[in-house]
Amino acid sequence: MKLVPIFLIEAAAFLLIIAETYFFFDFVVPVGSISHTLFRYTVFALLKLGLIFGLVVLWFVVMIGLTRLYVRSKTRNVPTPSS
Amino acid sequence: MPLGLADIGLLLLSFVVPFVMILVGLPPFLRFLSRKGRLLDDVHKNPPSKVPGPAGPLLFLAALIGELVVAIGFRSPVPVAVTLGATVAFGVGLWDDLYVLGGKTKPVLLLLAGLAFVGLVLFGSDLYSSAISFPILGDVNPHLTIYTALAIVAFPVVANAFNMMDGFNGEISWFTLLTSLALLFGATLHYAETAGFNLARVASTLPLVAVASGFLIFNRFPSRAFDGDSGSLMFGAMFAGLAITSGVEIAAMIAIVPAILNSFYTLSSVRGFVERRRMAVRPTYIGDDGLLHASLEQEAPSTLVRLLLLDGPLSEKDLVASITYLTLLACLFSVAISVLTWVI
Repeated sequence: MKLVPIFLIEAAAFLLIIAETYFFFDFVVPVGSISHTLFRYTVFALLKLGLIFGLVVLWFVVMIGLTRLYVRSKTRNVPTPSS
Repeated sequence: MPLGLADIGLLLLSFVVPFVMILVGLPPFLRFLSRKGRLLDDVHKNPPSKVPGPAGPLLFLAALIGELVVAIGFRSPVPVAVTLGATVAFGVGLWDDLYVLGGKTKPVLLLLAGLAFVGLVLFGSDLYSSAISFPILGDVNPHLTIYTALAIVAFPVVANAFNMMDGFNGEISWFTLLTSLALLFGATLHYAETAGFNLARVASTLPLVAVASGFLIFNRFPSRAFDGDSGSLMFGAMFAGLAITSGVEIAAMIAIVPAILNSFYTLSSVRGFVERRRMAVRPTYIGDDGLLHASLEQEAPSTLVRLLLLDGPLSEKDLVASITYLTLLACLFSVAISVLTWVI
């Protein structure tokens, strides 16, 4: 039972990995794949980079959020070295 | 697809040969390491004990012979590619075992493992398909350039993730065994459900399963052997190569979620690649009760182990059991993903 919260974090990580990987290959990669001008090509390349960065940030934010919740629930009554 | 007797014999050989090599070869190799003074500190014992290591060279030799059996038996380039990647990772790991590499140097050098692996494609080998298969949703369109770039990056990422799961007695051997079994399951389903999928791609995973199960006998608590970075980086590189050649990337990624989380926690809390021997504050410490405690120092890295110990101190054996349960859950998710991808 003690492991249940970490099991939930693990499950969230796994669901996000699948969803984001699918989004990346099915949506981000084909964006602007038929761009005949340098300007359009550059814009779409930057857009793709932005989307990839967004996906990574989303995963980080969710994981950090869940972990902070877990740590806060566990350390509520634990004295810190400075206290 | 029904298997012939020759196929079954080859599959058995590709498991039995490396497994027996570990069982028979590791005890004298450990005695050799002890005689040469190659003893590593088992820092989570109170007082610290000494364990012979690195056993990586023998683990690598056993895996190499296993892949050689598959390459000759099935006349396939797949085990050659997997072995190329594993060889580079093993070399980097051995260098680190002997001379200690910097935290940033190791991942950069491990890119060479990915380059060696995809290098075979330049010679016309049909190593992987760039159309990734997703559960329920099916295949996405192939993107060879992006897939190849990700395949190269996968080697340092996965090898380092395995390396970071090598902190406690039996942790890496349990982790490698369970994740490689999940990989074998996915590859077998892929073979069973896809016409023209080469059996060599399934057989190539067997040496990894064999080496991990043989090594577990010596590495489980209390450890009689440590693999060193040469062993753990080789395990990770082999896993990455096999996941790519078997076409079960998603299931493989899910199986190693505990290692991904562990790497994420460590890298985000120490803000970059730092060699563990150079960390200023350890994430855990051994209390007077002989149990492992989570460090309460603000600067201590937030590893997966530290999170587990926040719930209360644990013995090393119980801690490894907890990590193994997390790995087992991830592997069950991975099995479900394989079924959803290849059967339903």
